[in-house]
Amino acid sequence: MLTLLKLLQSLIKALHSEGTPAQVAAGVALGAALGLTPLVNLHNLLIVALILVLNVSIGGALLGWALFLPLGFLLDPLFHRLGRQLLLDTPALTPIWTSWFNSPVLPYTNFNNTIVLGSLVAWLALWLPIFFAARYGVTRYRATLGERVRQSRFYQAVTASKAYNVYSWFRPD
Amino acid sequence: MRLVRWQGLVPLVLLLLLVVLFWLLFGDRVVRETASEAATKALGTQVDIATLEVREGESSIELRGLAIADPFDLRRNLIAAERIRVELDAGPLLEKKLIIRRLAIGGVRLGTSRAEPARRVDDNGFAATTMRNVREWVATYRHPVLALTPIDTIRQIVLDPTQLGTVRAATALAARADSVRGALEGGWRALELRTVFDSSEALVRRLAGANPRTLGLDGTRRALTDIRRAVRQIDETKDRVEALHRDARAGIAVLDTGLSSLNEARRADYAFARGLLKIPSLEGPDIGGALFGPVTLDRYQRVVYWAELAQRYMPPGLRPHARDGPERLRAAGATVAFPRARQRPDFHLQAGELDFVLPSGAARGEFVARLSDLTTAPALVGRPMRFSARRDAAGTGIGDLQVAGLIDHTAGRVRDSVSAVGTGIALPGFALPGLPLRVEPGTGTSRLDFVRGGDRVAARWTIRAADVRWLPDSARTRTLNPLESLVARVVAGLRDLEVTANLTGDIHSPSISISSNLDRTVAARVREVAGEEIARAEARARAAVDSIVNERVAPVRARVTEVRAESERRIEEARARLAEERQRLQAQLETLTGGLPLPRG
Repeated sequence: MLTLLKLLQSLIKALHSEGTPAQVAAGVALGAALGLTPLVNLHNLLIVALILVLNVSIGGALLGWALFLPLGFLLDPLFHRLGRQLLLDTPALTPIWTSWFNSPVLPYTNFNNTIVLGSLVAWLALWLPIFFAARYGVTRYRATLGERVRQSRFYQAVTASKAYNVYSWFRPD
Repeated sequence: MRLVRWQGLVPLVLLLLLVVLFWLLFGDRVVRETASEAATKALGTQVDIATLEVREGESSIELRGLAIADPFDLRRNLIAAERIRVELDAGPLLEKKLIIRRLAIGGVRLGTSRAEPARRVDDNGFAATTMRNVREWVATYRHPVLALTPIDTIRQIVLDPTQLGTVRAATALAARADSVRGALEGGWRALELRTVFDSSEALVRRLAGANPRTLGLDGTRRALTDIRRAVRQIDETKDRVEALHRDARAGIAVLDTGLSSLNEARRADYAFARGLLKIPSLEGPDIGGALFGPVTLDRYQRVVYWAELAQRYMPPGLRPHARDGPERLRAAGATVAFPRARQRPDFHLQAGELDFVLPSGAARGEFVARLSDLTTAPALVGRPMRFSARRDAAGTGIGDLQVAGLIDHTAGRVRDSVSAVGTGIALPGFALPGLPLRVEPGTGTSRLDFVRGGDRVAARWTIRAADVRWLPDSARTRTLNPLESLVARVVAGLRDLEVTANLTGDIHSPSISISSNLDRTVAARVREVAGEEIARAEARARAAVDSIVNERVAPVRARVTEVRAESERRIEEARARLAEERQRLQAQLETLTGGLPLPRG
């Protein structure tokens, strides 16, 4: 329950005042990787590290994760086709995959799985569009609905929780 | 605004610690469940592992309570082992490659009963699909079952015309004959012979009695031009008639082929009608196949199943090959291996050995088994996989049992061979299809040889026993009809049994031939007792087919004959008439030119 509350707080705060729209958007774009690609993979550890260490909105990242998770499931057939195309049907790339497959550590990224590679490539291609779309969306939200939501009792109740303090440690500057 | 948030390192370190803690607490369990799941999917049968311990310091894994269910009998285990020790090469693990230096298996038992039947692995994975294909092939392989219908009950059969291939073929041929006739009719109309003849006749009439003096110079020139045009038209029409003749002959040749195929269809219909009567075959191979076909297929399908898995998981060559991805909430996808020359394969069991004791059953005794070079990339290892099992029965008087095999996928073409020889062993019994009898061969010799080269196989299974017992099968006891009683008496009187089954051809649909010493004896006795009755029944079956088929085929034959005759008649008439018209025009021309030859074209 506490975790959910914290999540809710972080999302609301991220949308309202925590960080610039660019920081929130960068968080959303990084969080999208967690949603679009299969979670338990080495590259996602790197994504989590980036979210924590880079000065991006963690709430935004959680928002991105939540938004893109169902999309990831839906697009799995497409990712499979893309991954298969890259791994098996593009001979020019075979030397790269062969080299990676026979290198230390890299095989643990599961790059040679069609879903993992397809979804990761899709995310890399969508990273910038997601970033710009999210930045535009946050800016518009703050300019239109934001103030009304801020005045609402729901917002006051959520942000008043003590648990929010934990999240505030990682508030973007 | 700073780019980096250094305090973020704290939760990152905590997260990593959490991962380490998770591994320490649940790592063994995760590996056990993953291994069990992957093995289940790969082998197409339930694989259970009671405990698994990863010993990071020794680069080894200790498993206990391994049970692999028999994919062909879910109530039994193919193999159960109390403990397995897997010694790994630590270096290749960095590349996610599993190189097993040594595999030691202890406390092995084969063919044990399971407390609960294994769950059926029913997905779209390769193993499950292979199993389905093997089962479907066995189900569709209908070796003539020894149908022991009482001969005195064979009276008459009622055939449905739509069941007969000849009737279907005749109906199709009639339609084709109509089509050919229609096409020829169209061709005739397109020739417009009437117009050509009318035009020629009118010209001949107009010029009748005319000569250069009556026509004058211009009139004669015009008349010559008209005659030449008419002759050219006649010649062109003749060419078109010949072309139509060629088309007609081609169409009629197709119809003739159709008529020939009716004879083949009729032979198939005889066999079909004979099948409805369930007349016992008196051919040796049929009897052998009927008596020993099921047990042969049972053994063969097991060999094919494992050979197909070996082909899949040990592909020849160094090309990338895809396997099903891991099970997870998200789609599994496919995981592709990219072997490279002079590198390690992603899986290689260098050497494995197991000693085990079978306390009872046909193969009881102490066994020693060895396995080497089991790998997912045979081309990288460069050596074929070898396995062998031998029963150490010296001085026990229970015979020798040896199994040896070689799976050679190191080159582009797969070459597998397996040989299992048991001499002086207790042979397993089996039920005899068609009769409520069980064969207990007792002590004897059994040999199975299987060779695969590419998709071609050659397999031979033989059993020889000198003290066979034929026991009533209590589960299938019933009152026997006279013919069944006869066959039962014949086989029950035999003490020797010698069966040879040969399978050759494509691995997915080989041709099977089975012979046994029972064949001749059973065939001879059945022929003695029921030969005449069977011959009469066969004649009745043929008559039943003929009565239906003749009725349908005769009109079709007549129609084809009619099309042929009509076509030939019209062609001959057209040729004659065209020749006649040309001759008349030629005569007229000669009259006008004083005997100069008429140029063609």
